[in-house]
Amino acid sequence: MLGFLSARQAGLDDPLRFRRAESTRRNHPDVHKYSVETVQWYPHDTGMFTSSSFDKTLKVWDTNTLQTADVFNFEETVYSHHMSPVATKHCLVAVGTRGPKVQLCDLKSGSCSHILQGHRQEILSVSWSPRYEYILATASADSRVKLWDVRRASGCLITLDQHNGKKSQAVESANTAHNGKVNGLCFTSDGLHLLTVGTDDRMRLWNSSNGENTLVNYGKVCNDSRKGLKFTVSCGCSSEFVFVPYGSTIAVYTIYSGEQITMLKGHYKSVDCCVFQSNFQELYSGSRDCNILAWVPSLYEAVPEDDETTTKSQLNPAFEDAWSSSDEDG
Amino acid sequence: MSQKRHRLVPETFGLKRRRERGPVEADPLRGELGSARAAVAELVQLFPRGLFEDALPPIALRSQVYSLVPDRTVADRQLKELQEQGEIRIVQLGFDLDAHGIIFTEDYRTRVLKACDGRPYAGAVQKFLASVLPACGDLSFQQDQMTQTFGFRDPEITQLVNAGVLTVRDAGSWWLAVPGAGRFIKYFVKGRHAVLGMVRKAKYRELLLSELLGRRAPAAVRLGLAYHVHDLIGAQLVDCVSTTSGTLLRLPET
Repeated sequence: MLGFLSARQAGLDDPLRFRRAESTRRNHPDVHKYSVETVQWYPHDTGMFTSSSFDKTLKVWDTNTLQTADVFNFEETVYSHHMSPVATKHCLVAVGTRGPKVQLCDLKSGSCSHILQGHRQEILSVSWSPRYEYILATASADSRVKLWDVRRASGCLITLDQHNGKKSQAVESANTAHNGKVNGLCFTSDGLHLLTVGTDDRMRLWNSSNGENTLVNYGKVCNDSRKGLKFTVSCGCSSEFVFVPYGSTIAVYTIYSGEQITMLKGHYKSVDCCVFQSNFQELYSGSRDCNILAWVPSLYEAVPEDDETTTKSQLNPAFEDAWSSSDEDG
Repeated sequence: MSQKRHRLVPETFGLKRRRERGPVEADPLRGELGSARAAVAELVQLFPRGLFEDALPPIALRSQVYSLVPDRTVADRQLKELQEQGEIRIVQLGFDLDAHGIIFTEDYRTRVLKACDGRPYAGAVQKFLASVLPACGDLSFQQDQMTQTFGFRDPEITQLVNAGVLTVRDAGSWWLAVPGAGRFIKYFVKGRHAVLGMVRKAKYRELLLSELLGRRAPAAVRLGLAYHVHDLIGAQLVDCVSTTSGTLLRLPET
């Protein structure tokens, strides 16, 4: 659960020290009763944000007054929720709970009667596609990842199959995306690929249009989280990276080649979530040791030229001045 | 400035400059170049045929291929190509959903035919090998595929399961299997555990590869130390650290 509840104050000497802007105090009447699992800003402006928690509610907050504008109650604990970042025609929030049904709550009307059925166990992660506003991906503890078009009444579009077997309708029930629970989902920033992590310690990259496993192998990505794992991809780099919490470090891989670049060490306990800010190209990670760390890419210094003579000629003679700065010259 | 441009990615993330590798010494297991096919061919040489009286086809594991071909994505893609061309079959070994056995198709076919010789299910098995194997290169088969596309009836499918060629995966779907592979899997699991135990009991839980290979194999290791070490390296059950004295195998921290 990392939203940007801490505001960055421009002009601070050390820009990496966050200041907590506001927080709901423990005796706030609308505060969540159990752990808050997911927080997300309203995608179009910062006037509103949503939070969901193990206390079986999804609360919609007004940022300026810090009061709840709406509360959705569910029968089971909520593991994850997501609002589509590109949606213009709908305001649906997809909610994954401990029950096998994915619920879609409409912010405009306040109803949550739209249900997507197909999974058999708890839904650990949901994510809307950043490319198409009606495409939703859900990951469940029954090892399956399903892609849905929410306008269709008849069921999911594709169930991802890690073995890339032949496609046929009856086959769908046996397809598994991972050999264990599927913990985390993340679309790449262009929405063409989908990354999934599972408790079988694997991360897989899928083509989101046809559900094919691209067979990119990242090696062992240790995952012993029993809840959802929130990982993230970079946006705006020349070869995109994926940042995955790996125990108490964060592992960085290039997405399309599967190579591990580095492990970011800094937390003392297990890292729960990480989020990438594409405007500053920074990564923020939150961990059980009660710290949020900001990871900034180190800018490399310009290498001085080997031959010294070129530096002198860089100054345009029109800007050279005739007076010297020494005192003794008359 | 230009010579630094191609190192942009590691520089940004603060990786230490990698030392240029000297000429690769004669390390018995590492440093193999080339394709997945060469790796599989080499690995099937390590398989002890005599132990199973030649009844089992030589099985290599996917994790072993990863230890010989360092880039896993390339290895996976090449194995997938070989599978599509029909040169190898990939088989789900029962003990771990992730462990896939790789067998050359010809070896598989000859051994299975020899194993079912004279048995009541021979006819169904021969029909399976002739019609289904060349047509469908997947690891698993579905009910409607078997009945409609290939014309198998339910009693015939039961005979295939009895023969050991198919193993039940789910209601109406089956994994491809190797008949008689139970003994191999038992030796493999025990041997893997024993070799890991050798590394675990060493001081500081690390062993030089050359020393591990030079030791006498404990009685539980029937398939050979080299076979198991490839598998451990490829499955990332041990970390490989290159040192000045050779490769060091170290148990991971967790």
